[in-house]
Amino acid sequence: MSLKKKIYLDFNATTPVDNRVLETMLPYFTENFGNASSDHVFGWDANEAVEFAREQIGNLINAKATGITFTSGATEAANLALFGFCKANSSKGNHIISCETEHKAVLDTLKALEQQGFKVTYLEVDAEGNIDLKELEKAITSETILVSLMLANNETGLIHPMQEIEKIVHSKGSRLMSDITQAVGKIPVDLKELNLDIAIFSSHKLYGPKGVGAFYINKKNNIEIDPTVFGGGQEKGFRPGTLNVPGIVGFGKATELAKAEMEEGSIRISKLRNGLEKQLAELEEFQINSKNSNRLPNTTNISFQNIDGNLILRKLSNLAISRGSACTSNTINPSHVLKAMGLNDELALASFRLSLGRNTTQKDIDFAVEEIKSCVNQLKKVEV
Amino acid sequence: MRELEAIIAQYDQLKSADTGCILATVVHVEGSSYRRAGARMLIDEVGNITGAISGGCLEGDALRKALHALHQQKNKLITYDTSDEDDAVIGAQLGCNGIIQVLFEPLNFQDKFNACELFKNVISKNAAQAIIVQFNLNRTREQSGTTLIIDENSEVIGKKPKSELLQIFQKQAKLSLQTKRSQFAEFQNAEEIQHIFIQNYQPPVKLIIVGAGNDAQILAQQAELLGWEVTVTDGRPTHANEQRFSSSCQVIVSKPEQTLENIEIDERSCFVLMSHNYNYDLAVLKLLMKEDVIPYIGILGPLKKYERMQRDLENEGFEISEENYDKIYAPVGLEIGAETPAEIGLSILAEIQSVLTRTSAGNLREKSEPIHEKDENRFKTVVTSSCPDASGVSASHFD
Repeated sequence: MSLKKKIYLDFNATTPVDNRVLETMLPYFTENFGNASSDHVFGWDANEAVEFAREQIGNLINAKATGITFTSGATEAANLALFGFCKANSSKGNHIISCETEHKAVLDTLKALEQQGFKVTYLEVDAEGNIDLKELEKAITSETILVSLMLANNETGLIHPMQEIEKIVHSKGSRLMSDITQAVGKIPVDLKELNLDIAIFSSHKLYGPKGVGAFYINKKNNIEIDPTVFGGGQEKGFRPGTLNVPGIVGFGKATELAKAEMEEGSIRISKLRNGLEKQLAELEEFQINSKNSNRLPNTTNISFQNIDGNLILRKLSNLAISRGSACTSNTINPSHVLKAMGLNDELALASFRLSLGRNTTQKDIDFAVEEIKSCVNQLKKVEV
Repeated sequence: MRELEAIIAQYDQLKSADTGCILATVVHVEGSSYRRAGARMLIDEVGNITGAISGGCLEGDALRKALHALHQQKNKLITYDTSDEDDAVIGAQLGCNGIIQVLFEPLNFQDKFNACELFKNVISKNAAQAIIVQFNLNRTREQSGTTLIIDENSEVIGKKPKSELLQIFQKQAKLSLQTKRSQFAEFQNAEEIQHIFIQNYQPPVKLIIVGAGNDAQILAQQAELLGWEVTVTDGRPTHANEQRFSSSCQVIVSKPEQTLENIEIDERSCFVLMSHNYNYDLAVLKLLMKEDVIPYIGILGPLKKYERMQRDLENEGFEISEENYDKIYAPVGLEIGAETPAEIGLSILAEIQSVLTRTSAGNLREKSEPIHEKDENRFKTVVTSSCPDASGVSASHFD
């Protein structure tokens, strides 16, 4: 067993809770434990904290706070938004457009909708992971009630040209939903500018706690969505159930910190990421995926040719990096994202995502480079 | 009784019973709303409400927010967005389309400059003043609340801020008093942004009814509902007496020539000549023609009566300026088909209201624009340099 320090380079999977976030949350577990729906001082305190968080979140993404509904995370948000939207709009059509490289939270929900009779077109991507905007335009019919495309890909960091997508979708009279989970907190996301109709995102990707997320409905665009779960009427009936007040408070604080610190952080992190890629590029039979496209500043997705990916993963035990997204890493299926980009199974299985974060240092990067290089060199020797 | 007076009366009662209370003030409205900036209500610790900040739609939630702020003993700004159809708070869809900022201020009875104590000063001065309410649209910042009153001589009562800010307040107050309109300013310096509502306070309209007949009784009652200060004057003690007019109404018995002897005239004093006695009305009109400050003189009776009055005045050598003619409304009232004394009263009061507010008295439906001018609510940006060596204020307006 190696006693070496473990280096965490999987910030797209999740992030540690910022200490300042934790401190803000703690009183809401103990002395301010009130139910946000209660009509007494304890409830009022909790409710005020929730509404304050809603505004903090709205501030980060430049969206009206009243359009934000709290959920347990982005997956639940995707489910409530997609099912709720389709339920409310089924009389207008039964066609949805998405993309092969979406997150499972969206893809699996769409599969469930297909079983209910909705038809889904999954747009293909090129070798970089980009969709063809002309294909998108062609795919939209009078039956298309929704287009759902993520802003930034969780595995490659690739950013879809959302402004152009928005123009196409709206000019064709359809609606646009976007999974903005990976983008929020890493790059500026301005929902007013993007004019999305629905957005989903979560707290634990931006140094907030797990178990809390949200969907945003753009009321200006008259988006209708029906409740699909039922209970005490919380969150205007769209997500009933006692609110996770500490989580929401933490989510709010995390977005406030992101707003203040993201710009500077992104510059630093992208320098580290670029340095990392530059050093790794010295390796032979190596490639960086989506390298020539607009990407998140913290993410790199790399592939090693002619090496067994399983061996690399085990050898790199001092690095917390991932193959595919965290949600699917229990299985050894090759990444659906990379496969969609044309990588064969073998190469996809020898591909890794390194995602950097607030805590990542140059030392961490140097260590990672050293580990990866020595691992690859050793494995290659074996094969020879 | 006007809202502010009702609030003060209630405040005094609560204070003597040592019952905690909190003041809610509409400090800014963007778009439409039933009540505009300056609407207030007082909430006591058990939830009794005096005054109103809306047509009733906000009061329910405002009560909860008020009790919460009272518990926290902290000033608080709450935004109500009635343009948001499913605003959780408002629920009912009002179609109002306004964003209403409401400031909640717990009142400390020990504080001799708390909002209600300041209002007592305002009322007792019985003159136009500016009420300064400091708030911050960024709700996380300090909400200073109702801090000062400033009169026409720039005299200040209340919690004085540092001189830089005070001079800005005085300047804005002056502007408000000159234009007779409330102002909104956004004050910026290197460290902070603060919003200021400069409320133009006008003392009650004074209505002097010349003639104490049955129609004057009704007019007096109607004017009191509006919170106006009513004086009735007549030469007949059988008519001008306190049995016929309510206690809050001042009743004076005098010869026409002495009408003004017991009446303090100012720019809010409106006269209606309705003694049903030609010579009595004429005699009073002669007095009024010498008082330039009066904004409105209504004369009951047909046009023929007024033409005769004009001739008689000219024959007696009265030189009447154009401006003075302009303030005469004869026959009195708006054309609304008024027949009964109450209907005529309504037409007179509506006319006075439109004259004092310089509005056209037309149908609102004919307006293509919103009822309230957008411009009225805009925040004027006031930037100051906070350099210690800057001599005084370098305030400038970006409009």
